[in-house]
Amino acid sequence: MIVTRGLVKRYGKVLALQGLDLEVPERSVYGFIGQNGAGKTTTLRILAGLLIPDGGGAEVAGRNVLGDPRGIREVVGYMPDFFGVYDDLRVGEYLLFYAAANGIRGATARKLRDDLLELVDLGHKREEFVDTLSRGMQQRLCLARALIHDPRVLLLDEPASGLDPLARVEMREILKELCGLGKTIIISSHILSELADLCTHVGMIREGRLLRQAPLGEMISGQRVRRFILRCDGPAGEAEAVIGGWPGAAVSNAAAGQVEFSLSGASADISALLKEVILAGSKVVHFAQTEQSLEDTFIQLAREVNGE
Amino acid sequence: MLGKEMRSRTRGLRYPLLLTFYLGLLSAGTVVFLWIYLDQSSQIHPRVGLSFYGLLVVGLVLLLSFIAPALAAGAISGERERRTYDLLLATRASLTGIVLGKWLASVAYLLFLVLAALPLLAVVYLFGGVPPSALAKAVLICLFTGLGYGALGICLSALIRRSQAATIVSLVLVFFLVFGTLVAAGIMADRDRRDAGPEYRPAGIPWYVFASPLAATAEVLPGAAGIAPGGGAPLINLVMNELMRQFQPRMTREYAMKMAYTRGYGQPPAESPEKTGGIAAWPVLARFALNQVLLAAISLAVAALAITPLKPWQARRARKTSYTDEIFLSESRSQNPESRM
Repeated sequence: MIVTRGLVKRYGKVLALQGLDLEVPERSVYGFIGQNGAGKTTTLRILAGLLIPDGGGAEVAGRNVLGDPRGIREVVGYMPDFFGVYDDLRVGEYLLFYAAANGIRGATARKLRDDLLELVDLGHKREEFVDTLSRGMQQRLCLARALIHDPRVLLLDEPASGLDPLARVEMREILKELCGLGKTIIISSHILSELADLCTHVGMIREGRLLRQAPLGEMISGQRVRRFILRCDGPAGEAEAVIGGWPGAAVSNAAAGQVEFSLSGASADISALLKEVILAGSKVVHFAQTEQSLEDTFIQLAREVNGE
Repeated sequence: MLGKEMRSRTRGLRYPLLLTFYLGLLSAGTVVFLWIYLDQSSQIHPRVGLSFYGLLVVGLVLLLSFIAPALAAGAISGERERRTYDLLLATRASLTGIVLGKWLASVAYLLFLVLAALPLLAVVYLFGGVPPSALAKAVLICLFTGLGYGALGICLSALIRRSQAATIVSLVLVFFLVFGTLVAAGIMADRDRRDAGPEYRPAGIPWYVFASPLAATAEVLPGAAGIAPGGGAPLINLVMNELMRQFQPRMTREYAMKMAYTRGYGQPPAESPEKTGGIAAWPVLARFALNQVLLAAISLAVAALAITPLKPWQARRARKTSYTDEIFLSESRSQNPESRM
């Protein structure tokens, strides 16, 4: 559905993208992860047809980014990470303007406006001026604007950036609704826990190159390192000592009566370790494997590449 | 685009303030003028009407020449600064449509300014002495001024990222077009006169002079000989005379003759025998209009080119590389469930 091949983009002397190869399957929700400056925004802008790559190519829904810019704009709805609004327009007029800009007018446009405002839960704000909306509402309005021409592809660059927790939850609910509409969505975000909730596929980018991309489940379970949490009745000093000395184990967090650690190795290793801990005198009350989070995967991968 | 721009111009404080300032300036000028004149003589005389008309038209044209580009210079760079630029480009709207919409909005506002000034021009009728055709021509000059210079402002707005810089550059350019062209023509004419010696024959008016609206206004203003435009205000007189001089004695002589004829015999004279061919024979207003239309067309074309992300020369180069085959290959590869980078 969306493919990039060897995408290269330079800003002056800085090489933002150095041969990016992405593949986003149709109807997937693709989480695009990377550090600041890794090239996420650049990639999204190229896919939206706003930026021309210096090398390589990209296709969205069969339309070539370089050969068919108008075609791209028809199938893509783009929501940038930083955007402004026209402060002297009302919310309804704002959407009608973008509808008209996309060639939708009259009764169809008005109906679309009302439907979209309902979707993003801004129906009651239709006659308010856009600059009186809170940031969260403006983000939702921008999302509505991106949907106005019913694009098959949505490119969302940090849709939840700068939002307070409640607004983030609201945004996430709306995104979940969108996922059910059969669109192909690329979301770039730093809040990995939320992405893990929404995405079907993940792509990790680092310094302009793709680190790894896979369906979500594969991405997480593919790691050989597993994490555990162990709680004791009383201080966990002995447990910590045993675990710390165990080959292949690394204590990540030790609070009062609790030890979090990671272990790379076979399953037999785990029972042996637990036995040692108990023999050392710890009164273990809780021992479980914690879910490998997307965040952990990302950090691990990044560290791997760094050679840590 | 037009609708949206109109909405924002009617809301907010900026545009009404500008209108107030503009009308205030023109009205103040009118009041001062009338005060000076009616002090001297309580007669209502066509001559006064003429001078007032001249003053007002020149003032109006100059004001519009500078307001038009200054306002338009914020059109596209303003979108960039407000971060709505990407959102606009990501729509299906054609880029020429965007540029045209912005331009028409600026032209519409200038039309509004011109209409707002009409009541002041009507004061001229209190005095008489000015044919309605001249008034109509004056309005046309204002329109074409706004059309062309507004487009120039939009072009600069597309080329220059910062609104402030675009405004300054546009004002400087317009200053050069309005005054600089006349000065340049005067210098050239002077040089020709010195070179040619006693057999001096004024050549035709150089084409670039018609970039200035003042050139067009010279036609609708009273000639230098016999009638003093601006009347009692010597500075205006001086400026007018300089303008007339740019147009060579022949033209002012012709005009003065026409005026004298009309006064004396009550009918315009027969056509002058001298006739140069081609564009040079067109009336001044038409040449100015042509200039402005060309300026507008070129400016808008450049603006549309400047905002498109994929420049035509890039597209041509890109289509030569055939990686679409590669992409199709990989598309089929990605259907394969085992695909992993």
